[in-house]
Amino acid sequence: MNALTHPSLLQKGWIWFSQALTQHGSFSAYFQPLIQMFVPHWSTDAYRAQIVEIRDEMEDMYTLVLKPKSGIIDNSWPIFEAGQYLELMIEKDGARTLRCFSISSSPAYYDRTGLIELSIRIQAKGRITPWIRQQLALGSLVNISAAQGDFILPKTEASKKLLFIAGGSGITPFRSMLQQQAMNKDNLNSSSSEFDIHLLYYSRDNQHIAFQHEFEQLEKDFPNIAVTFIDSEVSGFICADHLQEYCNDFSQRSAFICGPSPMIQQARAVLSDLGVAKDKINFEFFGVAPIEIENSEQGIVHFQTSEKIAVSEKDKAQTLLEQAEEQGLTPVSGCRIGVCHQCICKKKSGVVFNTRTQEYSDTGSEEIQLCISVAQGDVVLDL
Amino acid sequence: MTTILANNRPDAEKLKAFENDLNKIREETMAKVGEKDAKYIRKIIRIQRSSEIAGRIALVLGFYNALFWVSGVVLLALSKILDNMEIGHNIMHGQYDWMNDPHINSRKFDWDIWGDGESWKRYHNHEHHTYTNIIGKDRDYGYGLLRLSDDIAWRPKNRFQFITYTLLSSFFQFGIAYHEVAGERIFAGKKKETSTLPITREELKQSFFGKIKKQVFKEYLFFPLLAALISWPMFFAVFVGNMIAEFIRNWWTSSVIFCGHFTEDAQTFDQAECENESRGEWYYRQILGSSNFVGSRAFHILTGHLSCQIEHHLYPDVPAHHYVDMAEEVKAVCKKYDIPYNTGSFLQQYITVVKRIVKYSFPTKQETEGMTVS
Repeated sequence: MNALTHPSLLQKGWIWFSQALTQHGSFSAYFQPLIQMFVPHWSTDAYRAQIVEIRDEMEDMYTLVLKPKSGIIDNSWPIFEAGQYLELMIEKDGARTLRCFSISSSPAYYDRTGLIELSIRIQAKGRITPWIRQQLALGSLVNISAAQGDFILPKTEASKKLLFIAGGSGITPFRSMLQQQAMNKDNLNSSSSEFDIHLLYYSRDNQHIAFQHEFEQLEKDFPNIAVTFIDSEVSGFICADHLQEYCNDFSQRSAFICGPSPMIQQARAVLSDLGVAKDKINFEFFGVAPIEIENSEQGIVHFQTSEKIAVSEKDKAQTLLEQAEEQGLTPVSGCRIGVCHQCICKKKSGVVFNTRTQEYSDTGSEEIQLCISVAQGDVVLDL
Repeated sequence: MTTILANNRPDAEKLKAFENDLNKIREETMAKVGEKDAKYIRKIIRIQRSSEIAGRIALVLGFYNALFWVSGVVLLALSKILDNMEIGHNIMHGQYDWMNDPHINSRKFDWDIWGDGESWKRYHNHEHHTYTNIIGKDRDYGYGLLRLSDDIAWRPKNRFQFITYTLLSSFFQFGIAYHEVAGERIFAGKKKETSTLPITREELKQSFFGKIKKQVFKEYLFFPLLAALISWPMFFAVFVGNMIAEFIRNWWTSSVIFCGHFTEDAQTFDQAECENESRGEWYYRQILGSSNFVGSRAFHILTGHLSCQIEHHLYPDVPAHHYVDMAEEVKAVCKKYDIPYNTGSFLQQYITVVKRIVKYSFPTKQETEGMTVS
């Protein structure tokens, strides 16, 4: 028997066995409601973490300090890399809601203390971010996913010089990376080599600069870390002049950009125009990636099971998830940015554009993620 | 005879007002749906899981005392009834999809019964809920086995339909599993020309057998064998106990469902009259074609709130435990527009169901005369 197919056969058999006995794909899914009676928030698809501190960074930004649980009933939360994010799952009015947040503390800090930090900007018209701040108290439990994401520091020797461009709350993954660098240096046994980092930190005015003192201190303590604070109210958004003025060796550096989508788009354009190679520009959209389709086509989305129809208009690209929700459908959804794979749905036919991979799908039947799929012409969904 | 809807239906203007009144009841209820509902359904699920586990253990303990065995059967039947009615049926109607919980979701849930959930969702949510009690369209009307209206021509086999009915109720879970397979004529009959089956016939066959295999493995092989490890005669004790629990559940679900649409005053309709119905007309037909029965709160839960069949047909995706309160309001609206509202005690309603089955076992006068002439 093929060694590769053997485990999957076993797994298949186990799933069949569990379905036969419990009508659920796993035994833990069947037992979950009972386990939760004794272990609150226990979940088959998430880790539990306790809130040990809530710290206000600014009037509209707070930090949750979390201690992931471990023990017999809790799987220990897997290690992460600086720059990654996690999904915070909370239940509001009986409905499960997921939000992705970058981890703003470092893996080295987690090793030392068992703690991770999430720094969360309160969205003025948001439904969830203000609610979390009001609702969660010290000691309360939340569900988190494992860390994920590929916005991480390069591992090759060639790229030791880095340029970080942060906009507003987009500073959080950079805080993790800088803290990692600083803590590794404190640690004499550390084998990890050192980066030369220049951070351009854009803030909307000179009053709202999260972690300002921390970064000033880092700059003092570590010669390889340079931080330039830029007040957008005075100096505006990123432009070629800023790069030349504040970081004139930018062309030798690998760029990392995180912040609001328009800022990322602008920074990418500026760097490209200045001749920086595409593979040296890394970026992380905060939240939903903007839909960039060159010619979005008009078409009809047919939700087959529910017998609903949505019309996608020519220049108003919407994700299939948004269209489904507009029709009053409630498919399972999660992060809404294409990472959690919860809104997977069977596409019967038609072409969809994936906003994350920037690729067009095949016309045939396949599983797609609704939250990052945009219909191109007519599409039939099994929803 | 099928009801001529246009005869007694309120005029267009009144019908619009009636539609608005019913919509308002829905909106007011949906505004209340939230944390309480999530807690409620999770509580019912916990009760169901606990009773299943306790029931299976008690069946084995029948080894020490037969009373354990009896309570095991009752607990297992309770678990299956809760799973099928208040949990499975309602979750699969999408009543709890808003919770965004992967385990309490209409797309994922499957129930503890032979019928494959996917197949049931296709024919029940669509066919039965859209074409309720339309002769020829709603195959739930008599399940192709029983003649429950004189719109269907009498056939000699109908003479024995009371026996057919008792068999159907005893093996109701097979009826649910076989319904779509029969409609698509997978094993027998001429292949349907206008099939809207979204999967292949082969896939339908596989899911039909796949689910039954799993269920039979669980009830009649795995758990009996597990008990046999303690003492071999326990194999039969558990085998028979599981069978009786399924039998109780089959009769219960069948009776509840029959009382929902086949009572004496539940009306039937003609397809032609139901084309291009307005929402108000649809509401009107749903009320005439359904019947309620009253009872305690626990009783309502055991029926999966199909005791409020009228409200379920008006609002199939509203969390069902709101139906009891909604029923009061729907009843008042019906009174306002002089629309019959069919309700009574479970026993009263059930007696009329039996009457109907017996009544249509016999041909109509015209049919009898026709037979003697020819």
